[in-house]
Amino acid sequence: MPKDTHQTIRVFKTPSADQPPRHFDRWWFLLAAVIALIVLLITLVPDPYMRILRFVSDGIWVTFYVTMISFVLVLIFGLIGGLGRLSKVNILKGIATTYVEIVRGIPLMVQLYFWYFATPGLIRGLGGAIGSEALTNYKAEPIFMAIIGLTFCYSAYMSEVYRAGIQSISKGQMEAARSLGMTYFQAMRHVILPQAVRVILPPVGNEFITLLKDSSLVSVVAVADMTRRGREFQAATFTSIEPWIMVALLYLVMTLFSARIVTWIERKTRLER
Amino acid sequence: MTPIIQIKDVHKHFGNVHALQGVSLDIEKGEVVVIIGPSGSGKSTLLRCINRLEEFDAGSIIVDGIPLDTAANINAVRTEVGMVFQQFNLFPHLSVMNNILLAQQVVRRRSKEEASRNAMMLLEKVGIPDKANAFPLQLSGGQQQRVAIARALAMNPKIMLFDEPTSALDPEMIQEVLDVMLDLAREGMTMVVVSHEMGFAKAAANRAILMDAGQIVEEAPPDILFTQPKQDRTKLFLSKIL
Repeated sequence: MPKDTHQTIRVFKTPSADQPPRHFDRWWFLLAAVIALIVLLITLVPDPYMRILRFVSDGIWVTFYVTMISFVLVLIFGLIGGLGRLSKVNILKGIATTYVEIVRGIPLMVQLYFWYFATPGLIRGLGGAIGSEALTNYKAEPIFMAIIGLTFCYSAYMSEVYRAGIQSISKGQMEAARSLGMTYFQAMRHVILPQAVRVILPPVGNEFITLLKDSSLVSVVAVADMTRRGREFQAATFTSIEPWIMVALLYLVMTLFSARIVTWIERKTRLER
Repeated sequence: MTPIIQIKDVHKHFGNVHALQGVSLDIEKGEVVVIIGPSGSGKSTLLRCINRLEEFDAGSIIVDGIPLDTAANINAVRTEVGMVFQQFNLFPHLSVMNNILLAQQVVRRRSKEEASRNAMMLLEKVGIPDKANAFPLQLSGGQQQRVAIARALAMNPKIMLFDEPTSALDPEMIQEVLDVMLDLAREGMTMVVVSHEMGFAKAAANRAILMDAGQIVEEAPPDILFTQPKQDRTKLFLSKIL
Protein backbone atom coordinates (compact mmCIF):
# COMPACT_ATOMS: atom_id res chain seq x y z
CA MET A 1 0.00 0.00 0.00
CA PRO A 2 1.47 3.39 -0.90
CA LYS A 3 2.41 5.19 2.28
CA ASP A 4 1.63 8.88 2.22
CA THR A 5 4.72 10.76 3.34
CA HIS A 6 2.74 13.92 4.03
CA GLN A 7 1.34 12.31 7.16
CA THR A 8 4.54 12.42 9.15
CA ILE A 9 5.08 16.05 8.29
CA ARG A 10 1.56 17.06 9.28
CA VAL A 11 2.20 15.87 12.82
CA PHE A 12 3.28 19.39 13.70
CA LYS A 13 0.07 20.99 12.55
CA THR A 14 -2.05 22.36 15.37
CA PRO A 15 -5.81 21.98 15.05
CA SER A 16 -6.20 25.63 16.04
CA ALA A 17 -4.78 26.58 12.63
CA ASP A 18 -7.76 28.27 10.98
CA GLN A 19 -8.25 25.69 8.26
CA PRO A 20 -6.97 22.18 7.81
CA PRO A 21 -5.15 21.94 4.48
CA ARG A 22 -7.28 20.25 1.83
CA HIS A 23 -5.70 16.97 1.17
CA PHE A 24 -6.95 15.20 -1.91
CA ASP A 25 -5.70 11.68 -2.25
CA ARG A 26 -4.53 11.35 -5.83
CA TRP A 27 -4.73 7.59 -5.75
CA TRP A 28 -8.50 7.90 -6.22
CA PHE A 29 -7.66 8.65 -9.87
CA LEU A 30 -6.22 5.17 -10.32
CA LEU A 31 -9.43 3.65 -9.02
CA ALA A 32 -11.46 5.92 -11.30
CA ALA A 33 -9.31 4.86 -14.26
CA VAL A 34 -9.90 1.16 -13.57
CA ILE A 35 -13.67 1.71 -13.27
CA ALA A 36 -13.61 3.72 -16.49
CA LEU A 37 -11.81 0.89 -18.22
CA ILE A 38 -14.48 -1.59 -17.11
CA VAL A 39 -17.27 0.72 -18.29
CA LEU A 40 -15.47 1.18 -21.58
CA LEU A 41 -15.10 -2.56 -22.10
CA ILE A 42 -18.73 -3.43 -21.33
CA THR A 43 -20.11 -0.63 -23.50
CA LEU A 44 -17.76 -0.91 -26.46
CA VAL A 45 -17.35 -4.70 -26.42
CA PRO A 46 -20.52 -5.96 -24.71
CA ASP A 47 -19.88 -9.39 -26.17
CA PRO A 48 -18.18 -10.93 -24.25
CA TYR A 49 -17.47 -8.38 -21.47
CA MET A 50 -21.06 -7.55 -20.55
CA ARG A 51 -21.86 -11.28 -20.61
CA ILE A 52 -18.92 -11.99 -18.33
CA LEU A 53 -19.93 -9.27 -15.89
CA ARG A 54 -23.48 -10.66 -15.74
CA PHE A 55 -22.16 -14.19 -15.35
CA VAL A 56 -19.74 -13.43 -12.50
CA SER A 57 -21.96 -10.86 -10.73
CA ASP A 58 -23.31 -13.37 -8.18
CA GLY A 59 -19.65 -14.31 -7.57
CA ILE A 60 -18.83 -10.68 -6.75
CA TRP A 61 -21.39 -10.82 -3.98
CA VAL A 62 -20.01 -14.15 -2.68
CA THR A 63 -16.43 -12.80 -2.66
CA PHE A 64 -17.66 -9.69 -0.86
CA TYR A 65 -19.52 -11.38 1.95
CA VAL A 66 -17.09 -14.25 2.48
CA THR A 67 -14.38 -11.58 2.90
CA MET A 68 -16.46 -9.32 5.13
CA ILE A 69 -17.70 -12.04 7.47
CA SER A 70 -14.24 -13.59 7.71
CA PHE A 71 -12.65 -10.23 8.39
CA VAL A 72 -15.02 -9.31 11.22
CA LEU A 73 -14.32 -12.70 12.81
CA VAL A 74 -10.58 -12.21 12.23
CA LEU A 75 -10.69 -8.87 14.06
CA ILE A 76 -12.29 -10.58 17.08
CA PHE A 77 -10.26 -13.79 17.20
CA GLY A 78 -7.06 -11.95 16.26
CA LEU A 79 -7.48 -9.75 19.33
CA ILE A 80 -8.03 -12.78 21.55
CA GLY A 81 -4.95 -14.41 20.01
CA GLY A 82 -2.88 -11.25 20.40
CA LEU A 83 -3.82 -10.87 24.08
CA GLY A 84 -3.00 -14.54 24.51
CA ARG A 85 0.45 -14.01 23.01
CA LEU A 86 1.06 -11.20 25.51
CA SER A 87 -0.42 -13.05 28.47
CA LYS A 88 1.67 -13.63 31.58
CA VAL A 89 -0.18 -16.91 32.06
CA ASN A 90 2.14 -19.45 30.47
CA ILE A 91 -0.60 -21.85 29.36
CA LEU A 92 -2.51 -19.14 27.47
CA LYS A 93 0.70 -17.84 25.94
CA GLY A 94 1.71 -21.38 24.94
CA ILE A 95 -1.64 -22.12 23.30
CA ALA A 96 -1.64 -18.83 21.38
CA THR A 97 1.97 -19.22 20.25
CA THR A 98 1.49 -22.83 19.14
CA TYR A 99 -1.59 -21.83 17.17
CA VAL A 100 0.23 -18.99 15.41
CA GLU A 101 3.28 -21.11 14.61
CA ILE A 102 1.23 -23.99 13.21
CA VAL A 103 -1.06 -21.86 11.09
CA ARG A 104 1.82 -19.82 9.71
CA GLY A 105 3.56 -23.00 8.63
CA ILE A 106 0.77 -24.45 6.46
CA PRO A 107 -0.26 -23.00 3.08
CA LEU A 108 -3.73 -21.48 3.11
CA MET A 109 -4.88 -23.67 0.22
CA VAL A 110 -3.91 -26.81 2.15
CA GLN A 111 -5.74 -25.46 5.19
CA LEU A 112 -8.85 -24.88 3.09
CA TYR A 113 -8.65 -28.43 1.68
CA PHE A 114 -8.29 -29.66 5.25
CA TRP A 115 -11.40 -27.83 6.47
CA TYR A 116 -13.54 -28.78 3.49
CA PHE A 117 -12.45 -32.38 2.83
CA ALA A 118 -10.67 -33.73 5.91
CA THR A 119 -12.77 -32.21 8.70
CA PRO A 120 -16.12 -33.64 7.51
CA GLY A 121 -14.40 -37.03 7.10
CA LEU A 122 -13.13 -36.83 10.67
CA ILE A 123 -16.56 -35.79 11.94
CA ARG A 124 -18.23 -38.69 10.11
CA GLY A 125 -15.61 -41.06 11.51
CA LEU A 126 -16.29 -39.74 14.99
CA GLY A 127 -20.02 -40.16 14.39
CA GLY A 128 -19.45 -43.80 13.42
CA ALA A 129 -17.35 -44.39 16.52
CA ILE A 130 -19.90 -42.99 18.97
CA GLY A 131 -22.92 -44.18 16.95
CA SER A 132 -24.36 -40.74 16.27
CA GLU A 133 -26.62 -40.67 13.21
CA ALA A 134 -26.38 -36.90 12.79
CA LEU A 135 -22.58 -36.86 12.77
CA THR A 136 -22.27 -39.89 10.46
CA ASN A 137 -24.28 -38.10 7.80
CA TYR A 138 -22.44 -34.80 8.26
CA LYS A 139 -21.95 -32.92 5.04
CA ALA A 140 -19.77 -29.83 4.78
CA GLU A 141 -21.30 -26.55 3.68
CA PRO A 142 -18.69 -25.01 1.32
CA ILE A 143 -19.16 -21.36 2.31
CA PHE A 144 -19.25 -22.20 6.02
CA MET A 145 -16.01 -24.16 5.77
CA ALA A 146 -14.41 -21.48 3.59
CA ILE A 147 -15.18 -18.81 6.19
CA ILE A 148 -13.84 -21.02 8.98
CA GLY A 149 -10.70 -21.73 6.97
CA LEU A 150 -10.01 -18.07 6.17
CA THR A 151 -10.79 -16.95 9.72
CA PHE A 152 -8.63 -19.63 11.31
CA CYS A 153 -5.66 -18.72 9.14
CA TYR A 154 -5.94 -14.94 9.15
CA SER A 155 -6.65 -14.70 12.89
CA ALA A 156 -3.15 -16.03 13.43
CA TYR A 157 -1.62 -13.30 11.28
CA MET A 158 -3.89 -10.70 12.85
CA SER A 159 -2.94 -11.73 16.37
CA GLU A 160 0.65 -10.84 15.49
CA VAL A 161 -0.50 -7.44 14.24
CA TYR A 162 -2.41 -6.80 17.46
CA ARG A 163 0.53 -7.98 19.53
CA ALA A 164 2.93 -5.63 17.79
CA GLY A 165 0.47 -2.76 18.11
CA ILE A 166 -0.10 -3.27 21.82
CA GLN A 167 3.62 -3.64 22.45
CA SER A 168 4.27 -0.37 20.63
CA ILE A 169 2.36 1.56 23.31
CA SER A 170 4.74 2.63 26.07
CA LYS A 171 4.63 0.69 29.31
CA GLY A 172 3.94 3.92 31.17
CA GLN A 173 0.43 4.05 29.70
CA MET A 174 -0.55 0.76 31.31
CA GLU A 175 1.14 1.78 34.56
CA ALA A 176 -0.67 5.12 34.64
CA ALA A 177 -4.01 3.42 34.02
CA ARG A 178 -3.37 0.73 36.63
CA SER A 179 -2.14 3.29 39.16
CA LEU A 180 -5.52 5.01 38.80
CA GLY A 181 -7.17 1.77 39.90
CA MET A 182 -8.27 0.45 36.51
CA THR A 183 -8.26 -3.30 36.00
CA TYR A 184 -6.17 -4.85 33.22
CA PHE A 185 -9.19 -5.06 30.92
CA GLN A 186 -10.38 -1.53 31.68
CA ALA A 187 -6.89 -0.24 30.91
CA MET A 188 -6.77 -2.27 27.68
CA ARG A 189 -10.16 -1.07 26.56
CA HIS A 190 -9.92 2.63 27.43
CA VAL A 191 -6.20 3.37 27.20
CA ILE A 192 -4.10 0.81 25.32
CA LEU A 193 -6.34 -0.44 22.49
CA PRO A 194 -7.58 3.00 21.34
CA GLN A 195 -3.95 3.95 20.83
CA ALA A 196 -2.84 0.60 19.44
CA VAL A 197 -5.66 0.60 16.89
CA ARG A 198 -4.29 3.80 15.36
CA VAL A 199 -0.84 2.23 15.12
CA ILE A 200 -2.05 -0.97 13.49
CA LEU A 201 -4.48 0.55 11.01
CA PRO A 202 -2.08 0.31 8.04
CA PRO A 203 -1.16 -3.35 8.65
CA VAL A 204 -4.82 -4.20 9.40
CA GLY A 205 -5.75 -2.59 6.09
CA ASN A 206 -3.09 -4.70 4.42
CA GLU A 207 -4.49 -7.84 6.04
CA PHE A 208 -7.96 -6.96 4.77
CA ILE A 209 -6.74 -6.49 1.20
CA THR A 210 -4.68 -9.68 1.32
CA LEU A 211 -7.68 -11.54 2.74
CA LEU A 212 -9.85 -10.19 -0.06
CA LYS A 213 -7.39 -11.52 -2.64
CA ASP A 214 -6.81 -14.81 -0.85
CA SER A 215 -10.56 -15.36 -0.73
CA SER A 216 -10.11 -16.40 -4.38
CA LEU A 217 -8.66 -19.63 -2.99
CA VAL A 218 -12.08 -20.65 -1.68
CA SER A 219 -12.94 -21.36 -5.31
CA VAL A 220 -11.09 -24.66 -4.87
CA VAL A 221 -13.53 -25.82 -2.20
CA ALA A 222 -16.69 -25.43 -4.28
CA VAL A 223 -17.53 -21.84 -3.31
CA ALA A 224 -18.89 -19.96 -6.33
CA ASP A 225 -16.92 -16.77 -5.83
CA MET A 226 -15.68 -14.41 -8.53
CA THR A 227 -12.72 -16.59 -9.43
CA ARG A 228 -14.74 -19.78 -9.70
CA ARG A 229 -17.40 -18.04 -11.80
CA GLY A 230 -14.65 -16.77 -14.11
CA ARG A 231 -13.36 -20.31 -14.57
CA GLU A 232 -16.88 -21.56 -15.22
CA PHE A 233 -17.33 -18.91 -17.89
CA GLN A 234 -14.05 -19.97 -19.47
CA ALA A 235 -15.13 -23.62 -19.46
CA ALA A 236 -18.54 -22.84 -20.94
CA THR A 237 -17.38 -20.52 -23.73
CA PHE A 238 -13.81 -21.65 -24.43
CA THR A 239 -12.61 -18.06 -24.03
CA SER A 240 -9.40 -17.83 -22.07
CA ILE A 241 -8.42 -14.16 -22.21
CA GLU A 242 -11.52 -12.05 -21.63
CA PRO A 243 -12.91 -13.62 -18.44
CA TRP A 244 -9.58 -13.21 -16.67
CA ILE A 245 -9.22 -9.59 -17.79
CA MET A 246 -12.67 -8.93 -16.34
CA VAL A 247 -12.07 -10.84 -13.10
CA ALA A 248 -8.70 -9.14 -12.59
CA LEU A 249 -10.25 -5.70 -13.10
CA LEU A 250 -13.06 -6.49 -10.66
CA TYR A 251 -10.58 -7.55 -7.96
CA LEU A 252 -8.58 -4.42 -8.66
CA VAL A 253 -11.61 -2.19 -8.12
CA MET A 254 -12.29 -3.84 -4.77
CA THR A 255 -8.68 -3.71 -3.52
CA LEU A 256 -8.00 -0.15 -4.71
CA PHE A 257 -11.22 1.02 -3.12
CA SER A 258 -10.33 -0.74 0.17
CA ALA A 259 -6.90 0.88 0.19
CA ARG A 260 -8.45 4.32 -0.22
CA ILE A 261 -10.88 3.67 2.62
CA VAL A 262 -8.04 2.57 4.91
CA THR A 263 -6.05 5.72 4.14
CA TRP A 264 -9.14 7.83 4.76
CA ILE A 265 -9.78 6.22 8.16
CA GLU A 266 -6.12 6.66 9.05
CA ARG A 267 -6.40 10.37 8.39
CA LYS A 268 -9.63 10.69 10.36
CA THR A 269 -8.29 8.97 13.46
CA ARG A 270 -4.88 10.54 13.66
CA LEU A 271 -4.02 11.89 17.10
CA GLU A 272 -4.38 15.60 17.57
CA ARG A 273 -1.20 17.29 18.57
CA MET B 1 -1.87 6.00 65.47
CA THR B 2 -0.77 3.35 63.01
CA PRO B 3 1.29 4.68 60.11
CA ILE B 4 -0.63 4.97 56.85
CA ILE B 5 2.18 3.19 54.99
CA GLN B 6 4.01 0.34 56.70
CA ILE B 7 6.90 -1.17 54.75
CA LYS B 8 8.56 -4.15 56.43
CA ASP B 9 11.76 -5.82 55.25
CA VAL B 10 10.97 -5.60 51.53
CA HIS B 11 13.27 -7.34 49.08
CA LYS B 12 13.25 -7.07 45.32
CA HIS B 13 15.45 -8.68 42.69
CA PHE B 14 15.81 -7.76 39.04
CA GLY B 15 17.54 -10.85 37.71
CA ASN B 16 20.85 -10.87 39.57
CA VAL B 17 20.49 -7.35 40.89
CA HIS B 18 19.29 -7.13 44.49
CA ALA B 19 17.44 -3.84 44.05
CA LEU B 20 15.82 -3.62 47.47
CA GLN B 21 17.69 -5.25 50.33
CA GLY B 22 15.33 -5.38 53.25
CA VAL B 23 13.84 -1.91 53.32
CA SER B 24 11.62 -1.00 56.26
CA LEU B 25 9.88 2.35 56.48
CA ASP B 26 6.80 3.74 58.23
CA ILE B 27 5.09 6.86 56.99
CA GLU B 28 2.52 8.71 59.08
CA LYS B 29 -0.67 10.21 57.77
CA GLY B 30 -0.03 13.76 56.55
CA GLU B 31 3.70 13.28 56.40
CA VAL B 32 5.77 14.42 53.42
CA VAL B 33 8.79 12.21 52.79
CA VAL B 34 11.44 12.96 50.20
CA ILE B 35 13.69 10.13 49.03
CA ILE B 36 17.04 10.95 47.44
CA GLY B 37 19.87 8.77 46.28
CA PRO B 38 22.05 7.93 43.29
CA SER B 39 20.47 6.30 40.24
CA GLY B 40 20.05 2.58 40.74
CA SER B 41 19.78 2.99 44.49
CA GLY B 42 16.26 1.54 44.50
CA LYS B 43 14.35 4.71 45.37
CA SER B 44 11.99 4.52 42.41
CA THR B 45 11.59 0.79 42.88
CA LEU B 46 10.58 1.31 46.50
CA LEU B 47 8.05 3.95 45.48
CA ARG B 48 6.59 1.67 42.80
CA CYS B 49 6.27 -1.12 45.34
CA ILE B 50 3.91 1.01 47.43
CA ASN B 51 1.17 0.74 44.80
CA ARG B 52 2.48 -2.58 43.57
CA LEU B 53 3.44 -1.46 40.08
CA GLU B 54 6.51 -3.42 41.03
CA GLU B 55 6.08 -6.80 42.67
CA PHE B 56 8.37 -7.47 45.60
CA ASP B 57 9.91 -10.83 46.43
CA ALA B 58 9.77 -10.77 50.22
CA GLY B 59 8.52 -8.59 53.04
CA SER B 60 5.21 -6.84 53.43
CA ILE B 61 3.64 -3.49 52.68
CA ILE B 62 0.41 -2.34 54.33
CA VAL B 63 -1.24 0.79 52.98
CA ASP B 64 -4.05 2.38 55.00
CA GLY B 65 -4.62 -0.94 56.73
CA ILE B 66 -4.80 -2.94 53.49
CA PRO B 67 -2.00 -5.46 52.91
CA LEU B 68 -0.74 -5.63 49.30
CA ASP B 69 -1.40 -9.28 48.66
CA THR B 70 -4.49 -10.22 46.65
CA ALA B 71 -5.42 -8.66 43.30
CA ALA B 72 -8.54 -7.14 44.89
CA ASN B 73 -6.51 -5.56 47.67
CA ILE B 74 -3.95 -4.22 45.23
CA ASN B 75 -6.69 -2.53 43.23
CA ALA B 76 -8.25 -1.17 46.41
CA VAL B 77 -4.90 0.35 47.41
CA ARG B 78 -4.37 1.80 43.94
CA THR B 79 -7.64 3.71 44.11
CA GLU B 80 -6.41 5.33 47.36
CA VAL B 81 -2.89 6.06 46.13
CA GLY B 82 -2.25 8.57 43.35
CA MET B 83 0.94 8.40 41.34
CA VAL B 84 2.78 10.97 39.25
CA PHE B 85 5.42 9.77 36.83
CA GLN B 86 8.60 11.27 35.49
CA GLN B 87 7.30 10.95 31.92
CA PHE B 88 3.80 12.25 32.83
CA ASN B 89 2.10 9.32 31.06
CA LEU B 90 -0.96 11.28 30.10
CA PHE B 91 -3.26 9.44 27.69
CA PRO B 92 -2.39 11.10 24.37
CA HIS B 93 -5.60 10.06 22.61
CA LEU B 94 -7.81 11.84 25.17
CA SER B 95 -8.27 15.54 25.83
CA VAL B 96 -7.04 16.97 29.12
CA MET B 97 -10.62 16.86 30.42
CA ASN B 98 -11.13 13.24 29.40
CA ASN B 99 -7.77 12.28 30.91
CA ILE B 100 -9.13 13.47 34.24
CA LEU B 101 -12.63 12.03 33.70
CA LEU B 102 -11.70 8.52 32.61
CA ALA B 103 -10.78 6.85 35.89
CA GLN B 104 -13.41 8.80 37.82
CA GLN B 105 -16.09 7.33 35.59
CA VAL B 106 -14.63 3.87 35.02
CA VAL B 107 -13.27 3.18 38.51
CA ARG B 108 -15.19 5.51 40.83
CA ARG B 109 -18.40 5.24 38.78
CA ARG B 110 -19.10 8.95 39.08
CA SER B 111 -21.62 10.62 36.82
CA LYS B 112 -20.22 12.73 34.02
CA GLU B 113 -21.52 15.92 35.67
CA GLU B 114 -19.94 15.18 39.02
CA ALA B 115 -16.67 14.06 37.44
CA SER B 116 -16.53 17.15 35.21
CA ARG B 117 -17.15 19.49 38.11
CA ASN B 118 -14.39 17.79 40.04
CA ALA B 119 -12.06 17.95 37.03
CA MET B 120 -12.65 21.67 36.44
CA MET B 121 -12.03 22.40 40.10
CA LEU B 122 -8.72 20.52 39.94
CA LEU B 123 -7.67 22.22 36.71
CA GLU B 124 -8.28 25.57 38.47
CA LYS B 125 -6.19 24.35 41.35
CA VAL B 126 -3.23 23.43 39.13
CA GLY B 127 -3.67 26.69 37.22
CA ILE B 128 -4.66 25.59 33.71
CA PRO B 129 -8.48 25.59 33.47
CA ASP B 130 -8.18 27.05 29.95
CA LYS B 131 -6.50 23.85 28.71
CA ALA B 132 -9.43 21.52 29.44
CA ASN B 133 -10.08 20.82 25.77
CA ALA B 134 -6.48 20.69 24.64
CA PHE B 135 -4.72 17.43 23.94
CA PRO B 136 -1.72 16.43 26.07
CA LEU B 137 0.85 16.69 23.29
CA GLN B 138 -0.18 20.31 22.66
CA LEU B 139 0.91 21.26 26.18
CA SER B 140 4.32 22.09 27.60
CA GLY B 141 5.99 19.56 29.87
CA GLY B 142 5.13 21.56 32.97
CA GLN B 143 1.50 21.80 31.95
CA GLN B 144 1.37 18.09 31.20
CA GLN B 145 2.76 17.25 34.61
CA ARG B 146 0.20 19.50 36.27
CA VAL B 147 -2.57 17.73 34.38
CA ALA B 148 -1.09 14.43 35.54
CA ILE B 149 -1.27 15.66 39.14
CA ALA B 150 -4.88 16.76 38.63
CA ARG B 151 -5.71 13.38 37.11
CA ALA B 152 -4.31 11.57 40.14
CA LEU B 153 -6.04 13.95 42.58
CA ALA B 154 -9.39 13.41 40.85
CA MET B 155 -9.55 9.99 42.47
CA ASN B 156 -9.40 11.66 45.93
CA PRO B 157 -6.33 9.70 46.97
CA LYS B 158 -5.18 9.57 50.57
CA ILE B 159 -1.56 9.28 49.49
CA MET B 160 0.34 10.76 46.54
CA LEU B 161 3.50 9.20 45.14
CA PHE B 162 5.80 11.31 42.97
CA ASP B 163 8.44 9.52 40.92
CA GLU B 164 10.98 12.19 39.87
CA PRO B 165 8.17 14.53 38.81
CA THR B 166 10.44 17.31 37.59
CA SER B 167 13.35 15.35 36.09
CA ALA B 168 11.96 15.40 32.54
CA LEU B 169 11.12 19.10 32.64
CA ASP B 170 12.92 22.11 31.22
CA PRO B 171 14.36 24.20 34.09
CA GLU B 172 11.90 27.07 33.70
CA MET B 173 8.96 24.70 34.13
CA ILE B 174 10.11 22.99 37.29
CA GLN B 175 8.82 25.64 39.68
CA GLU B 176 5.22 25.58 38.39
CA VAL B 177 5.05 21.88 39.19
CA LEU B 178 6.77 22.29 42.56
CA ASP B 179 4.30 25.05 43.48
CA VAL B 180 1.40 22.67 42.96
CA MET B 181 3.17 20.06 45.09
CA LEU B 182 3.87 22.62 47.83
CA ASP B 183 0.16 23.52 47.92
CA LEU B 184 -0.71 19.86 48.28
CA ALA B 185 1.77 19.42 51.11
CA ARG B 186 0.32 22.43 52.93
CA GLU B 187 -3.16 20.95 52.65
CA GLY B 188 -1.93 17.95 54.59
CA MET B 189 -1.65 15.36 51.81
CA THR B 190 0.52 12.36 52.63
CA MET B 191 3.26 12.45 50.03
CA VAL B 192 6.22 10.29 49.12
CA VAL B 193 8.46 12.09 46.68
CA VAL B 194 11.48 10.75 44.86
CA SER B 195 13.26 13.93 43.82
CA HIS B 196 16.50 15.83 44.16
CA GLU B 197 14.75 19.18 44.46
CA MET B 198 16.38 20.37 47.69
CA GLY B 199 14.28 23.53 47.76
CA PHE B 200 11.08 21.54 47.78
CA ALA B 201 12.42 19.12 50.37
CA LYS B 202 13.40 21.92 52.73
CA ALA B 203 10.14 23.79 52.25
CA ALA B 204 7.71 20.89 52.47
CA ALA B 205 9.22 17.66 53.73
CA ASN B 206 9.06 16.36 57.27
CA ARG B 207 11.69 13.78 56.54
CA ALA B 208 14.38 13.19 53.94
CA ILE B 209 15.74 9.74 53.26
CA LEU B 210 18.94 8.78 51.49
CA MET B 211 18.91 5.43 49.77
CA ASP B 212 21.90 3.63 48.31
CA ALA B 213 22.39 0.11 46.98
CA GLY B 214 18.85 -0.94 47.86
CA GLN B 215 19.01 0.21 51.48
CA ILE B 216 18.05 3.22 53.54
CA VAL B 217 21.35 4.83 54.54
CA GLU B 218 20.16 7.74 56.60
CA GLU B 219 16.96 9.58 57.43
CA ALA B 220 16.43 12.92 59.14
CA PRO B 221 14.51 16.19 58.75
CA PRO B 222 15.71 17.67 55.45
CA ASP B 223 17.62 20.67 56.82
CA ILE B 224 19.53 18.38 59.16
CA LEU B 225 20.16 15.68 56.55
CA PHE B 226 21.38 18.20 54.00
CA THR B 227 23.59 20.25 56.36
CA GLN B 228 24.79 17.84 59.05
CA PRO B 229 24.72 14.32 57.56
CA LYS B 230 26.08 11.61 59.82
CA GLN B 231 26.99 8.98 57.26
CA ASP B 232 29.96 9.31 54.91
CA ARG B 233 27.81 7.92 52.10
CA THR B 234 25.35 10.78 52.56
CA LYS B 235 28.15 13.37 52.64
CA LEU B 236 29.59 11.96 49.43
CA PHE B 237 26.24 11.98 47.65
CA LEU B 238 25.37 15.50 48.80
CA SER B 239 28.75 16.81 47.71
CA LYS B 240 27.96 15.58 44.21
CA ILE B 241 24.53 17.11 43.83
CA LEU B 242 24.87 20.39 45.70
